[in-house]
Amino acid sequence: MIEVKVCSQTSWACPEEGQMMHEMSLMSELFSIIQEYVSEYHLSKVSKVVLRIGEMTCVEDSALKYAFRLFARGTEVEGAALLLKRIDAVCECQVCGEKYKVDYTDKYCPICGNYNYNLISGDELLLESLEGEEEENDERL
Amino acid sequence: MKDFNIMRDLLEDNKRLAEANHEILLSKGIFTINLLGSPGAGKTTLLEMLIRELKDEIGIAVIEGDLYTSNDADRIEKENIQVVQLNTKGVCHLEANMVKEALAELDLKDIDLLVIENVGNLVCTASFDLGEDIKITVLSVTEGTDKPIKYPLIFQKSKIVVVNKMDLLAHTDFSLDKFYQDIRTLGEDIKVFEVSCIGNQGIEEFASYLKKLIKENKLAGEKN
Repeated sequence: MIEVKVCSQTSWACPEEGQMMHEMSLMSELFSIIQEYVSEYHLSKVSKVVLRIGEMTCVEDSALKYAFRLFARGTEVEGAALLLKRIDAVCECQVCGEKYKVDYTDKYCPICGNYNYNLISGDELLLESLEGEEEENDERL
Repeated sequence: MKDFNIMRDLLEDNKRLAEANHEILLSKGIFTINLLGSPGAGKTTLLEMLIRELKDEIGIAVIEGDLYTSNDADRIEKENIQVVQLNTKGVCHLEANMVKEALAELDLKDIDLLVIENVGNLVCTASFDLGEDIKITVLSVTEGTDKPIKYPLIFQKSKIVVVNKMDLLAHTDFSLDKFYQDIRTLGEDIKVFEVSCIGNQGIEEFASYLKKLIKENKLAGEKN
C-alpha cells in the first residue's frame, strides 16, 4: 500500500486542537490573497475585509469570524473589521425564465411550478474588497 | 487609506486543481466517485462489497482519506486492488491537491473506476470538489431521518444517496417516507438505493447501476 502524507493546500496548521472546520481552509486561502496585496501595495495595515458568502455554501458566520481572528493575529490584518455579506440563492427557471429566490428545500418556480435548479447566485465565496493603509515612505527618515 | 476591489473566489485554487484532476481521469476513461458520509455510516464496508461485486469486470482503484490511520486502506488492500492512503493529519476533508498527489502514485492503466473515500464528515467535505464525476453520500438508518435536512448541501450535491443498514430499520425510528420526502425537496433527480451491507441486500442493484454509469462514461470518452 502507498501512503501519502498530505496537507491542506495552503498548509494551514490547525491552531487549536479540535477546531477542524472548512472555514479554516477558506480563511487560509483568504489570507494568502490578502498577503499578495499587502506585499504588492506595501500595506502597513489592513483595516477592512469584505466577503460575499452565498446562502447555498453551508459556511457559518461565527466560524469564519473565529478563524479570521486566529489568522489575523500578529499580522497586518489584526484588528481589521470583517464584513460578511450574505448573498441570496437565486435560480433562473429553465422553463419560463423567471428569476426567483430558492432555499435548500424549495426550488420550484413560483410562476410555472416547474422544478429546476439553475443557480445564478448563492454559491459564491468571494473576497469582495479590502481597505488598507499604505506605508509612509518617509517613516524611517 | 486605499480601497481594493478584488472579487476573487476563495475556492479558486481548489477548483482549478479539481478540474485538472478531472481532465487526467477523463482522458484515461476513468469514472470517478467521491464517496461521502458520516463516520460509521458504512462507506468502507459498502466499498468492499462493491469491489467484490465489480472487480471481475471492472478495473478499480481506491484513494482512502483518513485523518491519521490506514485502517480503511488496509481493508481495501485485502481485496487485491490498488489503494493509496491519504492522511490529512487533522484536516476534516480531502482537497483537490491531496488527490493530485495520490493520482501520481497510482498506475491508472486499465482502471475504469476510481473511488475516493473522503473523510467521514457531512459538512466540510461538501465544499471541496476533488475532480470526481459524481458524489455519492452514504446515510445509515441509525443516524436518524433528519440528516438530509440538517446537512442539505452534501445531499443536494449528491447524484446518488445510499441508505445503509436497512437490516436495522425495525429497531430505529427512521422513517423512509419522511426521508424520501426530504430528499425530493433537496433534489428531484437524486437516485436512492436502500442497502444492507451486513445482510447483502440491494448491493447487486446498486453495483449494476454503477456499472451502467461506468460504461456510459467510457463511451462518452471514446467519442471525444
